[in-house]
Formats: sequence, C-alpha cells, structure tokens
Amino acid sequence: MGVSRLRTLRHRPLLVALAEVYLDVIAMNRTVANIFTSPYPTAIQTSLESYATIARFDPSGKLIAAGRQDGLGVIWDLATRGQVRWLEGHVKGITSIDWSQNSRYVLTSSKDWNVIIWDLASDTDPPHRQATIRFDVPVVSASFHPRNCKIVLVLLSSGEAYIVDLRKEYRGRYELCEVQDESDDEGQMNRSRAVFTAARFEPSGKHVFLGTSLGYILVFNARTKTMVARHKISGAGIMRGLEFVASGRRMVTNSSDRVLRQFNLPIYPSPTADNEYIEQELEPTHRFNDPISKVGWHAMSYSPDGEWLAGGAADDASHKIYIWDTAREGLLASTLDGGRELLAYVHWHPHKPSIASVTNLGNILIWHCPTEERWGAFAGGFEEVDENVEYEEREDEFDIEDEADMARRKMLEEEEDVDIEDGAVDSAISAVDQSRQPSENDEDVLWALEEPDDDAQGWKMKVILEDEQD
Amino acid sequence: MDVDPEEHKPDDGSPALDEQDELRAESLPAEGAQEPIATTALSPPAQDSATQTPAPVPQPNPESPYRPNYRPTLMLSGHSRSISSIKFSPDGKMLASCVKLWDAETGDIVHTFEGHAEGISDVAWSNNGEFLASASDDKTVRLWSLETYAVVKVLQGHTNFVFCVNFSPSSAMLASGGFDETVRVWDVARGKTLKTLPAHSDPVTAVAFNHDGTLIGSCAMDGLIRIWDTESGQCLKTLADDDNPICSHIKFTPNSRFILASTQDSTIRLWNTQTSKCVKTYTGHTNRTYCIFADFAPGRKHIVSGSEDMKVYFWDLQTREIVQVLDGHRDVVIAVASHPTRRLIASAAMEKDLTIRLWADESTDGA
Repeated sequence: MGVSRLRTLRHRPLLVALAEVYLDVIAMNRTVANIFTSPYPTAIQTSLESYATIARFDPSGKLIAAGRQDGLGVIWDLATRGQVRWLEGHVKGITSIDWSQNSRYVLTSSKDWNVIIWDLASDTDPPHRQATIRFDVPVVSASFHPRNCKIVLVLLSSGEAYIVDLRKEYRGRYELCEVQDESDDEGQMNRSRAVFTAARFEPSGKHVFLGTSLGYILVFNARTKTMVARHKISGAGIMRGLEFVASGRRMVTNSSDRVLRQFNLPIYPSPTADNEYIEQELEPTHRFNDPISKVGWHAMSYSPDGEWLAGGAADDASHKIYIWDTAREGLLASTLDGGRELLAYVHWHPHKPSIASVTNLGNILIWHCPTEERWGAFAGGFEEVDENVEYEEREDEFDIEDEADMARRKMLEEEEDVDIEDGAVDSAISAVDQSRQPSENDEDVLWALEEPDDDAQGWKMKVILEDEQD
Repeated sequence: MDVDPEEHKPDDGSPALDEQDELRAESLPAEGAQEPIATTALSPPAQDSATQTPAPVPQPNPESPYRPNYRPTLMLSGHSRSISSIKFSPDGKMLASCVKLWDAETGDIVHTFEGHAEGISDVAWSNNGEFLASASDDKTVRLWSLETYAVVKVLQGHTNFVFCVNFSPSSAMLASGGFDETVRVWDVARGKTLKTLPAHSDPVTAVAFNHDGTLIGSCAMDGLIRIWDTESGQCLKTLADDDNPICSHIKFTPNSRFILASTQDSTIRLWNTQTSKCVKTYTGHTNRTYCIFADFAPGRKHIVSGSEDMKVYFWDLQTREIVQVLDGHRDVVIAVASHPTRRLIASAAMEKDLTIRLWADESTDGA
C-alpha cells in the first residue's frame, strides 16, 4: 500500500514538525497564539435560534446562557447545539446573565424586579432555584462575586447599587453609597443627583466598580463596602458599561458619548479606618470610535488574554463587530459583518478565538476561526507542505539494516517510560485558575472565601432526554 | 476444540459448564486456599508451567514495581450466546454485558434487557451511570435507562450492523461505528445524528472519545486509526503501521496523549498521538481473528487484554513484560473490563464458555 512507501521518507522536514504543533493546539483547545489560526474569529460557524436579547458563554466555554425578551432563560449546549435547560420563572424580559466559576449556578436579572439564581446541577428542568432576590424596581444588571456566588452585586433602575450577601454570617443587602464631600458644595449638589448606571465586580473580586450618570467611576471595596477611589472620566457623559481584562489591570468603559475608553487601573490601597479615598481623573490609554457612522456601542468584550477588544456597534444598518489590537496602539484589526440582523450583544469565548453575538431577531451567532480540512490527515505518515522542499538524502539513507538490529533498536526506543495520566487538566479549568491574581492571604480574598459556595469543579450536568416528538 | 487436560488448571470446584440459561454466580475459593493458577511468565511463550508459589519475582528488591496478583473470585453464567463486550459502570457497582446487568459485588443478575432484534456487539455506560447504550446488528443503537430498565431512545441511521459505541465524557453525545464504514456522532438528548464521519473504507471496529470530549478516535478493519475533531468533524490525523493489520480496538489514555490499539497481528501498540509514533509494543498473546478488547488495568500501570488462547494477559505498561496470565476460560477471551476504583478485572469468553469471570487482586503490596 502507498502508506508504507511514504514511510521510507524518514527525514521529516521542518514544516512537518509545525504540523504537529497544529495538532497539539487543536487537540488541547488552547488559545496559545499559533501560526495556523488567527487570535480572533473571522467567520460565522453557526446560528442558534433563540429569541435572545443577551447571551454569555460559561467559564468552560461549552455552554451558552441566553436571556429572552419574554423572561425565559435558555441554556444551550454548544457541542450538540441543543437547548438543554429552560430557566422558567421571570415574567418580564431578562436584563443580565452571569455564570458562577464552575458553571454550576446561573444568575438572571429581570425587569420583573427579581434576581434568580439557578442550580444547573439539579436533576430537573427547569432547574431548582437556589435563591430569588426581590426588589421593588426593575433590575438593570446583576453579577456574582468572582470567587463566591453567594455574594451578588445588583444595580437597580432607580440608580441604586447593592451587594447582596446570601451567606449566613453576612446575610443582608448593603447599599453602596458615594461618599459625599461636605466641603465642596457645588460638587455635592451635582453628586447628589448622580445615579449609578453601570456596576461590575473587578475580576479578583476585591473591588466593585460603579459608573455614574455624570461620567464618574467609583471604586468600592467589596468587603467593607466603602469607597476607595473616585475617577472622573472627562467627556464621557453617562457611563453605560464596564469590562475588565482577566488580570484586572485594564478596563474599558462604554458611555453616552459613544466612545469606548480603555484605562490602565492603579492599584487600590486597602480601605483605611477614616475611609480615605483616591480622587483622581483617569486618562484613557486608547479611545475607540465607530470609524464610519459614529454610532455608539451595545456591548464590548475582551479576548481571554486581553490582547484584543471586540466592540459590538449600535449600527442601525448591519451587524458589526470591530476587533481592535490593544497591544498595538488600538489598531483596528478586523470588522466582522454579521448580516442584516442588527447587533444587540457581544461576548468573547473564555479561552478560544470565538465570539457569540446576539441579533435583534434573537439569533445567537457563534463566530469562529474556520479551519480548512487537511486532506493529508487521512493518510498516515503523510504531511502536507506549502512549498516544495528539496530533499537531501542522508548518508545512510539506502543502507540495508539488519532486521535483528532494527528490532533491537526498536526495543531500545520503547524502553522510555510513558506517562498516561498527567497533563490531563482540562484546559478550560486551568485557564480559569490562571486568572486568580491576589494572594490567598489577602484579607478581602479570605472574606470572600468564608462560607464558600458549593460550586465545585467536576460536577456534571445530567442529560435529560427530550420527549419523542412526532 | 476441547480443553487440553494438561492445561486445565482447577480453578473452581464445579465440573464443566453446561447450563446455558441458568443464572448462576459461583463463588470461587479465595486466595490461598487452592492451587494458584496465576502464573507469571517473563518471556513470551512459556506460560504453561504450573508454579506452586504465586508470582515468582526474578529479582526481588524492595522497590520493585507492583506486580498484579489477580485471583478469580466469581464466575457469572447466564448468557446463551457469545458475549462480545463487558463494561463496568462508572461507580463500579455494576457490570454490563450484552445485554445483561450484573451486580459487581455479588454476581447476581440485576436485569436482562430485551429489545434488540439481532445480536449486540457493544455496550457503553453514560458517565453518571444513568444510561446504557447498546450497538446491534439490527442497525440501531438503543439507549436504556437504568432507572426504568426500558428503552428510552432508539438511534436509527446506520445502514449496516453497528459494531461499537461510546459516550462522550459529558454524555451529551454518543459515537457509534459500524459495518457501513462510518462513525456517527449522536445528540443523546434528542436522539438525532449530529454528524456522520466518512471514517474508513472497511467496517469500523472501535470508537472512543478522549478525556474532554474534544477528539474522537476510530479504528477499522482497514488497519487505520483516525483522530477526529469533535466540533468540526474534521480528520486531524491518521495513525497506521507499515502492514496495516486489522485494528480491533482503541482507547485513549486518561491524558489523551496516547492511544492503546489492539491489532490482529497479535500485538497491542501504544501510539503517541502527537508524534504519531508507536512508543510501546505488547506481544505474547494471540489475536488474529476476533476483536478483542484491551484496557488499562486498575492502577494504570498495566495493560490487560483477552486472547484467543483462552487466557487473560497482563503487561507492565513501561517494561512491556508479561507480568501475569490468567487461566480458566474455555474459549477465546474476547472482552476484558477494568473496575474504575478497585483492583478487579472482568473477562468474558465466547461460545464454548459463556461465562464472565471476575478476578480480584487482594494483595496489599504495590501501588
């Protein structure tokens, strides 16, 4: 057979070694920059019909939680492209969604004044509700503390922000209030009219960032609920959204002036007894505008390594996602065109060059880097090369080797030990671990880990069979 | 072929196995009470010596690696036709064969699944032990619920006998291969085919997912082992040896870096999936005709496989030596299964010996 003839080509050129790297990367599903696939997606892989207004990947990247206008939440399994769980409970549209660290809990907030936490490890569909947090106005957004999903940050349409702690010892709702500076009368008048319009935990969980209607970002310590910094963002207007890179060192803001601003964040000191705070105007390192029609932004999302920023444009003619290279002066690297259905939301995959974007008709588009099928993969020992390679025969190329020698050499080669068990860490889980920045001895971290949630690694979602539909 | 009296090692108190349909689990005398049948051979062909001491170690030294010392514990009868596949449940409490369910501790039959019109070639457990999938010559794969013991899904689509089946680690997907030369990936929840891979040019003999479900490995009678990307369905690699012997079984290692492949030239090979090289070869058993299963023994330091000479072989993973040979079956040992947690092995044989035997290693030494 042809295969054995090809095997005489023992000297394998350099490009063959590179092809092996390709397989390694594909097999391990890492987003390590490699020369074969681009670091950001380029084409639509599939479209999920979902009637969704928002959609977010879970930390493993295998599931998507979608929130719908009718209040329904849906969990999609990307491997089978099927809807595996229905989160029934809200009676009005869902406004935000969040996942716990190991994907066991999903949080949905809604215009129906409620926040519900769902337990996906429960055997039933719809899943058991771990908690329902009720307010008296619509909830604009809600998210889990990155390290303990019993701590929830909530932003209400009234402009108030709360940290809701569900743990026994700390149970309660803690309102985050801006510190009023008595001496500055004019400033005080302004600030008393300011409401919060954006709220996020920073990735380590130590701080909460709140954006105000007057273009300020306030930083609160999550444990003490005291303000540790106030940053003026000049020219911004109303702060609409905040996103962080996984390390927490950089942040991008979306505001009513339709400009995305990226900032390097300072290190915030621990809260002091007399509640001192930093007052500092932050200068952005980059500004991102829509280059063509100057429309604003619906959402933005960083790549897992923070090197790329995806901006979902509020373009009224087509579905556009801009990809900027943050490492190279914010250069516009690519524009993804998703067709005529307008964009509503964008989220980058937690560790792959893949993006999920939601259209105004509720479809979730999954973007990926398409890989060409390598026909050479169908033949063993045969590697494709891009250019002709001049083959140089070795000195001993055509020597006839004694069979016994060959067998002995093979036996010797096989003496080497193999390890069949290590290195089996699921790449998704290791990626999540790497984003743990502050040391475990940090007071704020310890506080967050008290009475930990039971969202443990390795739980499995039950496969619930669909009923036969004829 | 009658059993050669010289080779017959008394391993149970009872005479020949004659009953076909009677359900019986015989408890065999525990270790130490009978002549040991486990022989340890260090070079391939000499296994028929009757040793009186268990497992003679050539150079005993304190740090010698663990040598398996399996002894028979139970013999399960009840099948009326050849058993082609056996698998332990993920929690180790039960053993499934085609298609009966046995309690792994006591050996009682828990249930017999009825429903397939023709013979069954393979069974597989879902990761939480909730479902059992069976691959049949009636061209379907059936999903059985362990709660109700009823068929919950019938997966139709293959155009010829389905030979092998395996769940993905999340159990949301199932891969099956058959005589129609394709591998089909199914959505378990909806019971529909997600992908059909044009896998081979001869019947597909085994399919397996890797540890995180991102790769599917398949092997076939054309002698090729192919690795596929689950998400896109594209072929990533083909592993083949020079002569292309029929490949009868493959399995990924827990870290997915290697594939254990059994071929019908009486060899088991360990392939490195990244370098496409064969890094270990295990020989000494006989495998020329049937699709015999191989597995990693509990503890993962040994390879265990059945053989057409009616024995079960153990090899040391690293040194490739045969470290134990188990006698007792009276026909080709076609399937073996390793218990997920305990040092327990199950082996099943063909027509002339329709029993499943359980072998346990109770010794306390070793890893």
